Amino acid sequence: MPLLQINDVVAGYGIGPDIITGLSLAVEADRSYCIIGPNGAGKSTLLKTVCGLVQARSGSVVFDGKPLSGLRTDEILRRGICYVPQDRSLFPDMTVRENLRMGGYILRDRHAVEKRIDEVMEMFPILKERRAQLAKTMSGGQQQMLLLGRALVLKPRIIMLDEPSLGLAPMVSHQIFESMNVLKKAGITIIVVEQNARIGLNFADWGCVLDLGKMVFEGPSQTVLDDPRIEELYLGRRRRRTGAGG
Amino acid sequence: MTHNIQILILGVTLGGVYALMASGLTLIFGVMGIVNLAHAAFMMIAAFIAYFAFQLFHLDPILSIVITMPVMFVVGIVVYRLLFARSVADTHKRGVLVLLTFALALTVEGTLGFLFSNIYRSTNPSYASKAILFGPYYLPEGQFYATLMSIALLVGLWAFLQYTRTGYAIRATMHNRTAAEVVGVNVDRISMFVFGIGMALAGASGSMLTFLFSFYPSKHWEFVAILLSLVVLGGMGSLLGALIGALLLSVIAAFVSAEFGPTWSPVTFYLALFVILLVRPQGLLGKRPEL
Amino acid sequence: MATSDTTVRATAPPAAGKRTLMTVLVVAALAFPLLQVVFGGLNYWLHMLLFVFMNIAIASSWNIIGGYAGYISLGHNVFFAIGGYAGAILFAYFGVSPFIAFPLCGLIAMAFGFLIGLITLRARGPTFIISTIALVLLTKILLDNWDYVGGTNGISLPLLELPVDLVKLPFYYLMLLLAVGAVYLSFRIRRSKFGLGLRAISQDETKAEVAGVPTRLYKTLAFALSGLFIGMAGALWGYYLTYLSPAIFLTILVGAKFVLMTILGGRGTVSGPVIGATLFIVANEFFVTQFGATALNIVATGLLLVLVLVFFPEGIVGTLKKSGHLPRMLDWD
Repeated sequence: MPLLQINDVVAGYGIGPDIITGLSLAVEADRSYCIIGPNGAGKSTLLKTVCGLVQARSGSVVFDGKPLSGLRTDEILRRGICYVPQDRSLFPDMTVRENLRMGGYILRDRHAVEKRIDEVMEMFPILKERRAQLAKTMSGGQQQMLLLGRALVLKPRIIMLDEPSLGLAPMVSHQIFESMNVLKKAGITIIVVEQNARIGLNFADWGCVLDLGKMVFEGPSQTVLDDPRIEELYLGRRRRRTGAGG
Repeated sequence: MTHNIQILILGVTLGGVYALMASGLTLIFGVMGIVNLAHAAFMMIAAFIAYFAFQLFHLDPILSIVITMPVMFVVGIVVYRLLFARSVADTHKRGVLVLLTFALALTVEGTLGFLFSNIYRSTNPSYASKAILFGPYYLPEGQFYATLMSIALLVGLWAFLQYTRTGYAIRATMHNRTAAEVVGVNVDRISMFVFGIGMALAGASGSMLTFLFSFYPSKHWEFVAILLSLVVLGGMGSLLGALIGALLLSVIAAFVSAEFGPTWSPVTFYLALFVILLVRPQGLLGKRPEL
Repeated sequence: MATSDTTVRATAPPAAGKRTLMTVLVVAALAFPLLQVVFGGLNYWLHMLLFVFMNIAIASSWNIIGGYAGYISLGHNVFFAIGGYAGAILFAYFGVSPFIAFPLCGLIAMAFGFLIGLITLRARGPTFIISTIALVLLTKILLDNWDYVGGTNGISLPLLELPVDLVKLPFYYLMLLLAVGAVYLSFRIRRSKFGLGLRAISQDETKAEVAGVPTRLYKTLAFALSGLFIGMAGALWGYYLTYLSPAIFLTILVGAKFVLMTILGGRGTVSGPVIGATLFIVANEFFVTQFGATALNIVATGLLLVLVLVFFPEGIVGTLKKSGHLPRMLDWD
């Protein structure tokens, strides 16, 4: 049974139109996923729907056999799905350590959280170095590292990242994805939405192509990378819908 | 020179009280993004509670804080649940919400005016007419106690925000609402709680204003404009900014009052608002430039 | 949104119905006072009507900044006071009748609006709202202490010397003129590029700015324009009352009523303020005759505003329009 099953989900923002128009995806525990697609395809909306920031209008999301419909974001987080949004969602005026501490917010046991923070800082030495530094003074790459670390504090089953390479120089992006390999080895299922298809598909095992709110193609990431239709999607095909964000 | 220092002392101590009044306002703005125009109207409710407690039961106004703070906290929670829950997340609805607080303020003012009429009232506990002397300076005793209490409450608030789990959550929500949501903070619950705290602080302020000022239902507009001016000066959403704004403007107002008469004291705050808007609209410690 | 149906439809355009309605209304309004001249005894109704006309002008003007631009001004009665006092000064000290001077008073209010707007519109939503409250309170204190205009005692103006039956007529016609003028201004703005820019600002100011809308200029212009007819109304109203004082013009309650009228009717639309003002004045009159103009009036204003904001924040016209039930006659956008 897949770890996360997304069934024919329809979702949109507020009273606006449907962004996702009937999307299904089975997420296996031992695979990592990269979701690509043009702007407006619904990639970010999908992640937000899974983690509860957006309510699905129809269809269902089932995690570990249990439905997630109607649950709040913090409840879904408690179950083990962590979401890292697109816009560098740090607490700018808090230090690195305080940001990591916020990552463990839902845990009541202060000692456990502090221990876990120490573990995370071992995994990411940069964070250990800069633990007293204010988050807003760090570079883009360091901030993204902090976000990864913060996501790890709760030892989630699934981590969903929305465009981690956004705004980062290619070398820095590679470093980030290197770090994400560490997470992969630790057994965390990773779903990453990427505009940079190449780096995302090179990292993940499985690629999913979204367009106009539907899954149009999925398969082993190498297959997706080699497929000429990808070229079509990004270069040749006329966009039928304008809109901001993926 | 002594004259000037005397005025400075009066200004600073009054500033402390204004800072307490403004703290609830700026906290609510920081977390919910709305300006609560009814803040001072709720202060008036607390003032009337304290007034009648004094008149009927001889309860000292400062002690009445023990009643007014919890009562106003509950009032805050109820008002939030009825009017603001769930709408707060929608940034486009914010203008409507501010108008709602305005309407709320009118309703409270009218109700208080209907029940108690617009006559000037104040409490006069023993310390309201005495002064503490130190060297060539004096400080009205009531003012002194009010300032001490304000400092105590502000320090308590700061400690709460700094060291408790909920305080952390509140600060996180103020910094970055989406980020807070994503790490599992129940931002709706936090907003409700903060609204309650803001009202509780208004409650404490209301109790104390009964012996510092003479009050009547419509006076809340004057308070609200003063508080908002100093919050804008300090920077919306910044507690430290509110404190600085309060101290700064109160001192200036004290000098203005000494020179030109007490009528012009509120004018200082209003003019200061326009000056800040001209020079630096985001205030001293404000975060977002468009505010 | 043209569909293939409309091209095939019969030729009577929807506009004809609207135009007929307007013409009928205006002609009726023009003719009504003749009844007074012939029969007399209608002074109460003349008063009510001219009061409604004035508030239509006020609400339509507030709508320009509060509805189209989305910048809520809670102290808009400042313009009313500026116009009123300008008219009073010109009359009491220079002998110029407000009947002649009122356009100038409107322009004076507009000029103040522009200058004040240059400062206060540097801020966005919440801070701007705060500045409007501070503005009213500040102006009240300034006028309370300005002996030239009588301070808190205010100014008395001489009565218009006409027989009792006819004395309200000039005010009636002038207020009607203001109402028509303000609604027309509102209509023209809505249809213009300026109006489009304002509405873009109210939706998302940053995006509007990025799209090239001169937001500072537009906002300030809207604020100033919104003061024009209100200033004129203030000048005439002061003369009508033959008495002005800061306490009459500059309480928050007066400003609140401006807001309530427009929102009740539907801010951001052309017909909304007209309907809102009419309904509100009628309701207010009923209320005052039943309960008096006391603290209860404040409660009622507040509660009504709460109800409107919670249940139909788009106002009557806005809500009907959204659900598609607005009679075409009332859709003047």
